[in-house]
Amino acid sequence: MKNAGKSFYIFIAILLAFIGWGGFNWLRFLSHGPGLTGSSDVVPWGIYISGLAYFIGVSAGATIVGLLIHAFGRHDYEPVGIRAILLGLLCIFGATQFVLVDLGVPFRGLKVPIILHNLTSLFLISSSSYYGFMAILSGELYFSIKVATGKASERDKKMAKWLGIIAVPYALWIVHAFTGSIFGVVKAREMWNTPMLPVHFVISAIASGFAMVILVAVITSKVEKRDLLSNETLNHMGKILAFFVLLTLFLDFFDYFILRYSAKKEAMEGWHILTGRYLPIFLINEGGLILSLLILTFKKGRTANGLLLATSIIQVAIIAYRIDLVSVGQLAPLFPGMGELYYHPTLSEISVALGLIALVILLYAVLSKVLPMEETAPEPVYASRGLGKTLWKKNKKRYMEVRN
Amino acid sequence: MKKLDRREFIKLASAAGGGFLMPDPLKVLNDAVGQLLGTKKKPASEYYPEPVTGARFGMVIDLGKCIGCRRCMYACKRENNVPDTISPPYIMVFETESATGVTGHFASPEMMGKGTTMFYTKLRKDKWYMPVQCNHCDNAPCVQVCPTGASYKDPDGLVLIDYDKCIGCRYCMTACPYGARRFNWWEPHVSRDRRNPLVPMRRHGVVEKCTFCVHRTRRGKFTRCVEVCPNKARTFGNFNDPDSKVSKLIESERNFRLKEGLNTEPRIWYLTKPKEKRMRWYRPLPPPKNIRGVKS
Repeated sequence: MKNAGKSFYIFIAILLAFIGWGGFNWLRFLSHGPGLTGSSDVVPWGIYISGLAYFIGVSAGATIVGLLIHAFGRHDYEPVGIRAILLGLLCIFGATQFVLVDLGVPFRGLKVPIILHNLTSLFLISSSSYYGFMAILSGELYFSIKVATGKASERDKKMAKWLGIIAVPYALWIVHAFTGSIFGVVKAREMWNTPMLPVHFVISAIASGFAMVILVAVITSKVEKRDLLSNETLNHMGKILAFFVLLTLFLDFFDYFILRYSAKKEAMEGWHILTGRYLPIFLINEGGLILSLLILTFKKGRTANGLLLATSIIQVAIIAYRIDLVSVGQLAPLFPGMGELYYHPTLSEISVALGLIALVILLYAVLSKVLPMEETAPEPVYASRGLGKTLWKKNKKRYMEVRN
Repeated sequence: MKKLDRREFIKLASAAGGGFLMPDPLKVLNDAVGQLLGTKKKPASEYYPEPVTGARFGMVIDLGKCIGCRRCMYACKRENNVPDTISPPYIMVFETESATGVTGHFASPEMMGKGTTMFYTKLRKDKWYMPVQCNHCDNAPCVQVCPTGASYKDPDGLVLIDYDKCIGCRYCMTACPYGARRFNWWEPHVSRDRRNPLVPMRRHGVVEKCTFCVHRTRRGKFTRCVEVCPNKARTFGNFNDPDSKVSKLIESERNFRLKEGLNTEPRIWYLTKPKEKRMRWYRPLPPPKNIRGVKS
């Protein structure tokens, strides 16, 4: 591996330790039963489904960079282009692993997205769409790397461009909005059953995914001690991010506002739990978004350091939103008199989640070293003369004469 | 070409016939894809007897007769090999006040834990008691969301689970408005001498629930909860038969179903008859203990 120092290997060792801890605990789930997690019959879905929603969101949001490069012609984003694709691919992989560890009988679940058992199940539709998304992102990654290493034909360049553009509606509409609909169609749970939910999911996905790309870019610049992106590009990224954070806040506000005035008593109870016993998570979610928006409004906040802070806060806030939605959304009892419901994740449950996050980080760290992430082709002679490639080919003989 | 057996023929015919009356393109597509890929296999008939042709099972519970003694809860647990790790068992019994309503709709947050409870230890004649279990809905949300088709609806009205197909994703549990489904968080243990050989044992990681005692009702018996009820509050029967007791009961008496606003079409009706004066009041069996996720 090129330019991998001692600290890199220490980092990898720490990640491996987390993966080992999580993997050990997952094996315990398989042998003893999923009772080692904090989920229960009253709160069937815990942090793993929150993790699924979060990782799908990051994956879908990261495709926005491809759209900016290929459709809007922002070629200054190109240094993070391949990084964003790789991030998207690894995050969708991580999301499927979150589903896998949540299943009671995981190895039966592997074939579900391929064999279409029950098409009315949103779980089936969205998990099948993850496979298609992985295929699109893999193709995009392959062609983009070909372009970056200078081995691409014109057709390959077109493929990279169009896959990058197609990935965005596919990710936002099919992958992530359907993941939001998994919760949206559940009429038994008042906090989930709203047509706003797919929209809310998509917007918060763009916020978290785009923020994650910026975070990765800034960290890469810091680690490699060079400027991956220019200050103008960072400024522009910060502005786009601020817009989507604002939209997320807007949707959050009206989602909870309508919930507060809902006709259903379950919704009232949900609102009381959200702002009562589970207030800290709610505050982290909303406070984090407001704080990051404040940082991003100032020009100083849209520099490398400011963005590092703001995007990290956004990640924490969006994770809090997913936990609020998935777990706290189930805490309103279905019948009065069922008692006070709670959900506390256990240490082994958290360790598996940390192990999966470490796995995604490890894969990213290794693959971003192995694969070419930016244009590495040596500058051809003609480029320095300010001539296009076609022009060079056409008048090759004359130029050679001039040079000699 | 594969030969169609009777059940598949009925399924196809009903899908085709239903297409005229109520076109649900997703459902038709779903069946077509299932037929093409051969994934719509026969339900697990090795567990359950064949569905009774022409029957439409359902239950009527007379709240005026229910004394909340929890005998149905414990008998059901014994009958269906429910391990101690599953708590509460398939049937939950709630004690409610007439002020908060017996309809199972929500009490205000101030009333939470005050008016309605399932942890009562003494019977009180001024309270109402309401058992809740799987409603075997005609429009079951759990069947709709199951990604593997492990939860399915049989033509005789029962919603059943194929334990060999269930992957344990628990989507059905979040989708059930009645909280009727239970998950095997641990390997279920029921000692050999207490085990009912007619009911299969489950493994950890699959979902289970009330089956309307499919091993009994499809062989012409009543469910266990109907048999043990000391005041005969429960009635089980065939709604397709207009002369059956259940059909007559819901024709003649005022009744409701749980959470009807959700359009699930439950197959358990509750009668709101006044309380019977001459009833035998039994001491209640102990409330469910060690419920995961519930603060006691």
